[in-house]
Amino acid sequence: MSKLLAAIACVSMLGGLPPSLAAQGRMQFSFGGTGAQEIVNSRLNGSSNRLTGLVLGGEGLLVSERFVVRLRYGQGRVTAGAAGGIEPRDIVEGEALVGIRATPWLTLWGGPSARAYTSEGSDQRWLLWSGRATARAGLLPGRMQTFVELWGALSGNVTNPAAKAGGRGAEAGLEMRLGGQSFWGRLAYRIDSGHAAAMRETVEAISLSLVYGAPQ
Amino acid sequence: MIRLLTVLLLGALAVPAVAQGQTAGDLLAQGIRAYAVREYDGGAWLLRRALAFQGADALAPAEAARALAYLTATELSRNQRDSALAAARRLIVVDPRYRPDDQAFPPQVIAIFQEARRSAPTVSIRALSDTAIRPGVDAFVVRLAATTGPDVTAALTNADGRVVRTLYTGPIRDSIDVRWNGLDVSGNPPPAGRYAITVIPTGRDRRGTWTLRLPLELQRAAVDTAPPPPAPPDSLFRPERGDYPGAWKALVPAVVAGAAIVVLPKVVASGERPSSARLIVGGTVTVAGIAAFLSHRPGRTLPANAEYNRNLRESWRRNAADISRRNAERARQSRMVIRPGAAVLTTSEAP
Repeated sequence: MSKLLAAIACVSMLGGLPPSLAAQGRMQFSFGGTGAQEIVNSRLNGSSNRLTGLVLGGEGLLVSERFVVRLRYGQGRVTAGAAGGIEPRDIVEGEALVGIRATPWLTLWGGPSARAYTSEGSDQRWLLWSGRATARAGLLPGRMQTFVELWGALSGNVTNPAAKAGGRGAEAGLEMRLGGQSFWGRLAYRIDSGHAAAMRETVEAISLSLVYGAPQ
Repeated sequence: MIRLLTVLLLGALAVPAVAQGQTAGDLLAQGIRAYAVREYDGGAWLLRRALAFQGADALAPAEAARALAYLTATELSRNQRDSALAAARRLIVVDPRYRPDDQAFPPQVIAIFQEARRSAPTVSIRALSDTAIRPGVDAFVVRLAATTGPDVTAALTNADGRVVRTLYTGPIRDSIDVRWNGLDVSGNPPPAGRYAITVIPTGRDRRGTWTLRLPLELQRAAVDTAPPPPAPPDSLFRPERGDYPGAWKALVPAVVAGAAIVVLPKVVASGERPSSARLIVGGTVTVAGIAAFLSHRPGRTLPANAEYNRNLRESWRRNAADISRRNAERARQSRMVIRPGAAVLTTSEAP
């Protein structure tokens, strides 16, 4: 996981390059921070748990004329609240995706995404290789845009217990330029559903992000 | 006699050939030599060729006077008295103070000069040699002289004879200096080319009796001017009326995205009970789309855009006018070279 953090740090540093330098290379960098309220529905053999909590993270995006690279990382803690007998979990999640801009409004992605749950004495890791499609449309060109992203797992696995895993998910939301030239805000809803053997983990999240640099 | 015939033969054969590519000074020297050996026909031809040069290649005023003096003598020797008298009159215009050399010319030629002096209009025009001026700043000066005080008009005329600028209207008492500042009547420097300062009498009894012309050749140094700015392209202008297509393009994706946020959880995680939180995001996206739709103000006039476009056009016009003004200023600052030729007097009675 520390490697993923290092990669995000590198992208964030690149994002700090002067815009003229980036423009010369016909590349754009952006980076930002995200706060998400996550709801985890965990099902195992017919029983289900519902946990909620705050996950904080960061992201970096490198956009060239044709290709896109996106890194995301987040960690937090979800709890069952007043419900007793359910252990809280630490969540660490991340993704590293490479995309191609098929059209100005459609990007196709591929890459791994991972999520780890750690509770007292045990942890469980989900690793899914997924294919994704993101569609974007400008509501006010250059100022406000909306997006919808769908993904499906191509392969994956889970530990503890070890098993093959699959899943799918979606994310949609709104991005809006904030005041100056370079800051954008994003409001998004995300739902990921992974399954393996008798397990099913569904994660919903409402996130708010602040991004420096032009979004994709 | 044999020597004379030889010179005549050589001269007759050589004149057309040597005239090609020779300077006015060369032709003048050959014309004088031809007069000296009494080859008058060839001499007259050479002298007229020498006097026909214009602009920078033309004879200097003193050489022109010398050429006219020999042309007068040559024509008289050819028994062309009228032509001789016309040449003498031209000589008086070029140099009113010219006195023929008694040793160089026979008494008949001296008599022709005296007759020309008596009958020619007593007006002359003289200019310095090549002069460089800054149009609008400096002046090119010519001196008009007359002994009878005629009323005249002096004007700069172009090659077609049209008046570019009137320089002086009034009497000439002894002499006056006429100045031209290098600008036409509209205040701009005229293009390079051939012009003349033309002096004509305006007195009722003298009108049309003579015309005095001083040929001028104008040359301009190349000026480094900036090209005018191109008009702003259409893509820079904003629509002055709200457009329906743009409004729908904003609304439809937002509604689709809002609906997707509401519906997708049931597709992605069927059997789960998604939280109502998604409705907040879906509703926000839809409301943003409606706001974007309304911000396009479909069908309405957009005063802010009209103002923006007006400012854009005004800015371009100001820029273009500024560059044009600076170019004109640079053109004014550049020097104009004025090369005067030999003055020509045309009278109604002389050929």
